[in-house]
Amino acid sequence: MRNISSVLGKLAKTMSISLMLLFAVTMSHAQDVKEGQTLFKSKCTTCHSVTKKVVGPALAGMTQRHDEEWLVKWIRNSQAMVAAGDPTAVKLFEENNNLVMTAFTDLSDDQIKNIIAYVEDEEAKAAQAPAGGSAEAGAAQSDDANTFMIVGLIAIVVLAVVIIIVLNRVIRTLEKVIANNQAAIEAAQARNEMITESRFAKFAQAFVKNKKLVGFTVLMLVAFLAVAGWNTLWNVGVHQGYEPVQPIKFSHQIHAGVNQIECQYCHGGAFKSKNASIPSANVCMNCHNTVTASDHYDGELSPEIAKIYRAVDYNPDTREYGNNPKPIQWVRVHNLPDFAYFNHSQHVVVAGVECQTCHGPVETMEEIYQYSPLTMKWCIDCHRTTEVNTDNAYYDQLIEAHEKLKKGEKMTAAMIGGLECGKCHY
Amino acid sequence: MDSNKKYWKGLEELQQTPAFVNNSKGEFAEPIPVEDVLNEAGLSTKTPRRDFLKALGFGLGAVTLAACNRTPVHKAVPYVIKPEEITPGIPNFYASSFNGQSVLIRTREGRPILVEANPNAVGLVQGTESGTVSSVLDLYDMTNKLQNPQIGGKDVDWSKLDTTVKQALVKANNANKQIALVSRTINSPSTLQAIAKFKESFPTTNLIQFDPISYSGIRKANEQSFGRAVVPAYNFENALVVLSVGADFLGTWLDGEEHTQDYIKNRNYKSLEGGKMSRHIQFEAGMSMTGTNADVRIAVKPSEEGAVLISLYNEVTGSSLPGALTGNPRAATAVKLAAQELLKNKGQAVVVAGANNVDIQLLTNAINAAIGAYGSVIDLDNFSKKYQGSEESFGTFLADASAGRVGAVMFLNSNPLYDYANAQVVKDALAKIDFTLSFADRADETASELDAIAPTSNYLESWGDESSREGYYTIVQPTINPVFNTRQAEQSLLVWSGNIINIFDFVKNVWETQILAGGTKKWKDVLQTGFEYKGKLGAKAYAFTGNVQGAASNIQAYAQSLAGEGFELALYESPAIRDGRFANNAFLQELPDPVSKVTWDNYVALNPKDMEALGLGENSVVAVEGNNYSVELPVLAQPGQALGTASIAVGYGRTKVGKAGNNVGANAYPFATVKNGAIQTTAKVKLSKVSRTYELAQTQTHHTIEGRNIIRETTFAKYLKNPASESGRFADSHKSYDLWNKFESPGHKWVMAVDLNACTGCGACIVACNIENNIPVVGRDEVRRRREMHWLRIDRYYTIEEDGVDYTKEDDIAKLNDFQNVKVVHQPMMCQHCDHAPCETVCPVLATVHSSEGLNHMAYNRCFGTRYCANNCPYKVRRFNWFNYWNDSRFDNYLNNEFTQLVLNPDVTTRSRGVMEKCSMCIQRIQAGKLQAKIESRPLKDGEIKLACAAVCSANALIFGDANDPNSEVSKALRSERIYYVLEEINVQPNIGYMTKVRNTFEA
Repeated sequence: MRNISSVLGKLAKTMSISLMLLFAVTMSHAQDVKEGQTLFKSKCTTCHSVTKKVVGPALAGMTQRHDEEWLVKWIRNSQAMVAAGDPTAVKLFEENNNLVMTAFTDLSDDQIKNIIAYVEDEEAKAAQAPAGGSAEAGAAQSDDANTFMIVGLIAIVVLAVVIIIVLNRVIRTLEKVIANNQAAIEAAQARNEMITESRFAKFAQAFVKNKKLVGFTVLMLVAFLAVAGWNTLWNVGVHQGYEPVQPIKFSHQIHAGVNQIECQYCHGGAFKSKNASIPSANVCMNCHNTVTASDHYDGELSPEIAKIYRAVDYNPDTREYGNNPKPIQWVRVHNLPDFAYFNHSQHVVVAGVECQTCHGPVETMEEIYQYSPLTMKWCIDCHRTTEVNTDNAYYDQLIEAHEKLKKGEKMTAAMIGGLECGKCHY
Repeated sequence: MDSNKKYWKGLEELQQTPAFVNNSKGEFAEPIPVEDVLNEAGLSTKTPRRDFLKALGFGLGAVTLAACNRTPVHKAVPYVIKPEEITPGIPNFYASSFNGQSVLIRTREGRPILVEANPNAVGLVQGTESGTVSSVLDLYDMTNKLQNPQIGGKDVDWSKLDTTVKQALVKANNANKQIALVSRTINSPSTLQAIAKFKESFPTTNLIQFDPISYSGIRKANEQSFGRAVVPAYNFENALVVLSVGADFLGTWLDGEEHTQDYIKNRNYKSLEGGKMSRHIQFEAGMSMTGTNADVRIAVKPSEEGAVLISLYNEVTGSSLPGALTGNPRAATAVKLAAQELLKNKGQAVVVAGANNVDIQLLTNAINAAIGAYGSVIDLDNFSKKYQGSEESFGTFLADASAGRVGAVMFLNSNPLYDYANAQVVKDALAKIDFTLSFADRADETASELDAIAPTSNYLESWGDESSREGYYTIVQPTINPVFNTRQAEQSLLVWSGNIINIFDFVKNVWETQILAGGTKKWKDVLQTGFEYKGKLGAKAYAFTGNVQGAASNIQAYAQSLAGEGFELALYESPAIRDGRFANNAFLQELPDPVSKVTWDNYVALNPKDMEALGLGENSVVAVEGNNYSVELPVLAQPGQALGTASIAVGYGRTKVGKAGNNVGANAYPFATVKNGAIQTTAKVKLSKVSRTYELAQTQTHHTIEGRNIIRETTFAKYLKNPASESGRFADSHKSYDLWNKFESPGHKWVMAVDLNACTGCGACIVACNIENNIPVVGRDEVRRRREMHWLRIDRYYTIEEDGVDYTKEDDIAKLNDFQNVKVVHQPMMCQHCDHAPCETVCPVLATVHSSEGLNHMAYNRCFGTRYCANNCPYKVRRFNWFNYWNDSRFDNYLNNEFTQLVLNPDVTTRSRGVMEKCSMCIQRIQAGKLQAKIESRPLKDGEIKLACAAVCSANALIFGDANDPNSEVSKALRSERIYYVLEEINVQPNIGYMTKVRNTFEA
């Protein structure tokens, strides 16, 4: 019920929003709100929000506070105005702790006006959502929903009663037919049973007599069990597909897939060290300082991003860090045993192996899982077939020596000792 | 060609005692009860059916449960805010300093794990001594260190302690009583500055520097001789003739490791190839590590040391001082020959004497002045500042305290109730002082008797500096936050004197205003380089003005007080435990003594003939009495020990140092006496047999190789004629057949060359190997069972030589009347990484296999412990894990708590029980070095990869590298004519070449 009501609520909201939009568009001299939005997101969000104070003040109501011409000048180069001694500008500058706003001299008047239009638009939306108007609309919609529900329910009950009546009639008719032909049915049943019984017995007898067949079946059974057992045993300790629930619902699909963030932005260790390393929370904060995903949560902070804030003890309202951080305890997905040494940089930098080769299509994974079996066989199979990336000057000497051994053949990791115990176990 | 000399590791091997023969046959020291299990009774034991079913059921259940385990949940907890400089998995290095040496501390994820020499520094630039490399373990010695400040043995917080201490200090100061600060030598500019600040607030402060092993005799003698009360610097690289009278200058005397580095420069393979080799003559009582390296070693009694110098002075200068050597013809001849040598090499010769005796040192100065050692070998201008302690000022302090003139005392790095000759005097004096405090990091022998303890932080947790020589300053910077509630002493002094300044700012200020002032270097540069050197001062000319006559008569008088009935006792420092300050370091306790190969104990070293005369044998215990003190200690038959003398190491017998070091051996400090304001480490003692027996944990005959010819030795004269002399190679003399195919090494081929002439046997490599490779310490009992885990050992072999004749036949040896004249060879022995390794052939599970880079790999996880490989190894270098040493409370030497496990190297696995292990040639370092080259896309440079043992060797005796690179140092070294391979004749094709030992003897 709630779903339906919220759907309808949203529908109503959109409708009213489009109305408002229409209104806004006429108000703002047909400015392009969409372009304004793009510009606002790329240039302003680092420091400004419409509804709340970020680094700079909340922008809602700015068109009431200042006229448009002044705003355009201010946005283009506020410091010039302060320097020129514009009293409003100086006052505003001082009110905001003398924080210097970046000058955007490359923006045209129209573009700035678009931004202003977008802010006004957002302002109107914001005013509507929590204030009386939207609440009333919501209430009206839920009333509608309730009526619809009740009518629907009544219809279903009526339908059900009709079906029951019809079915009862059918049953009664069938019972009458059976009662009329009782004897004939019983005779047919007995005949059928005899035939099945003798057939089965014959088959069983023939099977037991045929020793070869029995032997073959037993052999097959044993072989089947052995294969199954063998496979089970081989997979003891192999956790391919392991997908634990993480403390934060972090989606690689959004970050690496949709947003195309390079793997090494967060997992920089993979290029330098044996550990790819899980990024520390301050790396998350590079973006999530401003990216709050609030458009997906009705203007509220995403609860998952809030977990990052809790970890670094960050208060998004005051934009201050406390001194009680708590590290995020991720669940490790890829667990190599301690006696196996694996170095990411060797594979990523030297061999040029793509992350996806071992970790799978990470950019499509909603929650990360273990893509590869991480068994020694898996390592070795790859070492046997992968050619050495001989662009590296380190291999110069090695190639020379190697060509003496193998004329013209390709050089795999295995050929230069990639299968030796001590390369991974020490 | 083939040397037929008889080499032996211990007297039991020489005399082939039944116990030795028996032990050398079996693989294991203790019989394994195979027969008991397999005999009739063992096999017919009935296992009750129910028990069988229980076991079966349990086994099945356990296995099923184990197999059904869900994926274990491992947490991965990244930093909240990652420090910029840390990349997990990559070590960070910080420059710091220890014991005056500039070192680099390797840290991983914020924890220090290794200390190595700073290669760009001054002085000791390659290698460290065993104490330095093992010092990282002391940081994690958490079960024995104090976690909070204490008053009266109870934990308090710092504010409480500060109030109490301040009150006491103000009281003492107001009463115009002395506030004494008793410390070891302080050469740190910032510590001295902190003390000066402290003195501003408390003017009655008096700094007393006192070192348990003192060199005040040298300082006084230099004052009398040249008007400079300093300990000079000795540049052994300028000495072609070195004569030492009782000075263990390669080990414990002054800067042993630095001396080694310089001394070896005239004796290693490079010097030999240039046709140059220094000559080293040693006169001493006990066999010291330096004595084992001498070309000529003459056993003399401590009472004769002075006479040797008098004779030498007479020979060198042509004068005739009274008190020359009598009754020791061998020594007299040697002195004559030595004097000629010294005179022949004027300006390139030096005489050093070990005794802390002003007269002996004065006479030494006179000889050195005569042979022109000053300005070339001995440098009085760029002097050492490491030892400035004065027994006289400590004596004055004791007198002041007894007279009630001292109001408060603070001990910094000082533990006189343990290491002062007369602890009772100190105890009585302390009773008369109102307030006593120690900065010790643990409640040691002295601290536990005092009113308060203000535990100082470890050097790896502190800011500070050192200045071990004139014009040379090294920085101490922390690599970890203080793990416990400790505060470094300098900070405490500043707090108590009301200077509210953070120690970091304080040290920085001292450097910026004093040390770096006027220079171009900035504080940040120093943090990177680790040191500041003002440059060498030009040597001035010094004229000797000492009173030789007076010195000679004093020497005679002292010698007479020692001579006579009974034994002459010589106290010495063992190269590992030194003065006992770090006696709780399990790595050092288990490091075999370079000469006796004894671990975990001190002992009375006696000449075998003396032992015979006293009716003493193996495992005997004697009571040593003298100087109103007596201890019972086991005896050790020490070939080379002068007849009528006994040697005991100090630094043992501590009672309050911690789990590992408590009650190991007995304290020998009380045998010392203070004479003429200098501590004398010789005494007259009486020995008497005690009925009980005690087995020393001695590794010398473990892993014996049954008299096979594995040492090659020649003389310098023979070497000059034929560089390949005695190397015994017979590569072309017969045809060899291989059971195995030839191993190809197309990429790298890792090999090593060992210069037997450079190895002094100090054992620092063993400790470095232990730390780098997570090798467990097994403890005394396990060493007795021959289960020490050291991957690298240094075998020490004796040969007998008398009157210039090498005795080779056992019958001849039996006829010798003493064991005074022995020669020693040290041979580092580790896995030889044979190309045709016998161990690889016998492993049933292929746990040990050969690599294409010439290494013998060991896959621990594959090994299931048949020990066939150890049995088949001709070099006996494989070690078996009998227990889970890192997780077994019976081996609680250091690894069994959450703190000490932090010292483990994360790049090397800890081995489990039932697994064989051995030298891997630091494969983790090889792999890391190769990877670095690959990442930077360049060929690997020679010398880039350093093995832990080679990196720590100040003598550069271990040369590692790639044999496929014809220009690498090791390739050049392996082309030396001196190279031979141990047991080459069995054609296992080892990859480690040894260079013949060359001695520069007289008779040649």
